[in-house]
Amino acid sequence: MPNKEILHNLFHRQDTWRGRNRSLRNRVVTTGFKDLNQLLLGGWPLSGLTELISPQDGIGEVSLLLPTIKHYVKQNTLCVWLNPPYQPNAQALLEADISLDQLLLVHTQNSREWLWAAEQIIRNNALLSAWTTGIEPNYAALRKLQLASSESLTPAFLFSPIKALNSPSPARLRMGLNSEKANILNVTLHKLKGKMPGAKTQIVFSNHQTERTPLNKLPVNIHYPEIPQPDYQIPKKDTLKRLNT
Amino acid sequence: MKNRTQSYLTEPLWLYVHFPKLASEAVLSVMNNASVDKPVVVVNRQNNAQRVACYNEPAKQWGIEKALSLSTALAICPELVVLAKNPRQEQQLLKQLAVIAYSFSSDVIIDTEGLWLELSTSELLFNGYTPLLKRLHRQISSLSITATNGIGKSPLAAKVLCTEHFHTHLPNNLQIMDALEATSLEVLPSNKRQQQTFKQLGLITIGELIKLPRSALSQRFSPDLLETLELLLGEKPYSAPRFQPATEFYDDMQNPQGIYNKEGLAFPMETLLRRFHHYLIARQCQCAEIIWQFEPLLGASQSMTVNLSDSSQDCGNLLDLSRLHLERLNLPLSIERISLFCNQFTTSSNPVFDLFDNLKAENCPSSKLIDCLHARLGKNAISQITKDAEHLPELASKITHIGSQPSTQSQHKLKETQQPIWLLPVPAPIRMYRRQLYWKKPLTIVRGPERICANWWQSEQQRDYYLASDHLGAHYWIYRESTDNTWFLHGVFA
Repeated sequence: MPNKEILHNLFHRQDTWRGRNRSLRNRVVTTGFKDLNQLLLGGWPLSGLTELISPQDGIGEVSLLLPTIKHYVKQNTLCVWLNPPYQPNAQALLEADISLDQLLLVHTQNSREWLWAAEQIIRNNALLSAWTTGIEPNYAALRKLQLASSESLTPAFLFSPIKALNSPSPARLRMGLNSEKANILNVTLHKLKGKMPGAKTQIVFSNHQTERTPLNKLPVNIHYPEIPQPDYQIPKKDTLKRLNT
Repeated sequence: MKNRTQSYLTEPLWLYVHFPKLASEAVLSVMNNASVDKPVVVVNRQNNAQRVACYNEPAKQWGIEKALSLSTALAICPELVVLAKNPRQEQQLLKQLAVIAYSFSSDVIIDTEGLWLELSTSELLFNGYTPLLKRLHRQISSLSITATNGIGKSPLAAKVLCTEHFHTHLPNNLQIMDALEATSLEVLPSNKRQQQTFKQLGLITIGELIKLPRSALSQRFSPDLLETLELLLGEKPYSAPRFQPATEFYDDMQNPQGIYNKEGLAFPMETLLRRFHHYLIARQCQCAEIIWQFEPLLGASQSMTVNLSDSSQDCGNLLDLSRLHLERLNLPLSIERISLFCNQFTTSSNPVFDLFDNLKAENCPSSKLIDCLHARLGKNAISQITKDAEHLPELASKITHIGSQPSTQSQHKLKETQQPIWLLPVPAPIRMYRRQLYWKKPLTIVRGPERICANWWQSEQQRDYYLASDHLGAHYWIYRESTDNTWFLHGVFA
């Protein structure tokens, strides 16, 4: 019967939300952080844009994605960084266990190229991390990307400045990030299907124990110099023991 | 007559494909508007008179025949479209058809108005002669060229037995022999004296000629008639040079009216790529780079190179990439000629696949994506990160463009300090204002110094690296240069 087929197709579309969250759980990939998984009902959505909004660079937004990038690089998927604000550091990525041959950096000149490149990357099932500073895509552009990513099976991440909160966005997941103390990231959920906006959680990044010891804690080899005794008499003063620093 | 070795091999079977309307089709293929409905005639200059060499269907209905003079033809049909014969275009068309035929048989010989193919070796590959002939006919018709064929045991016999239509069913040996013997002697290539002698002797068909003893024939006729007979019956092999596809591919399309916009270029580019595709299949190789050239009527020509990161035979992909490259190119106003050139070929490597493995290798999409991004954004837009074994962080992490792939990458982890994700390639100096470090906001030092001391052979660098943060929670990697006590920002933690 044609009606059954139509209903079946309708139920299994990405943007149909069935009550009790039944169809949402299988379309996520774990974030790598337990608290964040709980907040996002399982992890990053596989089909649909994820928008990460932060007041400035450098508070830990990319570290949030590192486990996901590592997971996809291990599966031999191309990971593309579109218009990153600074140059990525090879050493830091290697320490996070990410092999460098699957990473690609793309720089575009204007917003049309940015939009085209982002769409091509999403359509080719590569993992996209795109920065929108300077581009400021409007709702129509974001909707285009959202449509493209709803057909692909890899997540797509957008990093936006804080003024993007003022304009609506068709992204599937929108999160605000800020941090006050070192290595502690506060995550606020602005939009996610199946959850009320405003939920918060905290992510703590573990400190790497470095192998190097700081200078003031180095065990220094202290040896005292041999002062030869003079053979003539001089009035004795207290000889200070000097450290060989 | 048959050697013992020949009886073990299959007998050669020759196919002659005749293109009766080659002249008109060659000329019409150059012009864009194929005037199918109007009567078209191609004239050739013979003995100071212009005579009709080729005509199409509507012209035939008007009553035009071959070898009529031009004035007679114009008198018969006033609205005739007259075109001049273009031998160069005909040769090019024949070469293209030969490339198509090369994918059906390895022995291809080009004639003035047709092609010979040797079919016996291709029978198994195509599962029989009928599918082979049908496929050949379909490919030739896709270029909108009429063809007729004839089949025989030797090339000359095939030409002699050529009929009006393209047959897709193979006659058996007896039928071929009967047809050959029943053919009249006028079809045999011979001069007028020999034809007269045939009539005097009362010989009408080839069969009667064959029955006569050879020694008697050699006395009465010249030796080249005997040679023709031997070629006809397959006793002597036909030694004409076999067609070999050229080692370089060059093809062009001319448009006398000129193309003024980029959309108009799409159709000729597609046609050229299709011919290139046939060539690649015929030579069983793949290409990695093609060069387009666009020539205007006056002025210098523009060339455009399309590179593939992974050599392939896929022409649809090449067309998309060429179109993307074209968008970035500045073309002269009107383009007269488009040409495609390729001389870098690689032999196609068979994909290694596992009988029990159902997964396909996913390498193809990423190289396709890289090609696409290359084509639209240019080579400088795409880069990769590599790591060198250096102490100084800015030398250790390098950006390289795609294409210069370093084969050795030292990727082993040294137990280093925790490094930031973002690195500034050139460290930025930080202001010190009233004993407070400033980088857009006041910074406070969080963790103590770590010293990197290196590069004494170029410039002595002794740096104390600190972890600093500002009041919004961002962390920076700053260092103090020991020689002059200046502070720099080297990285941002993210």
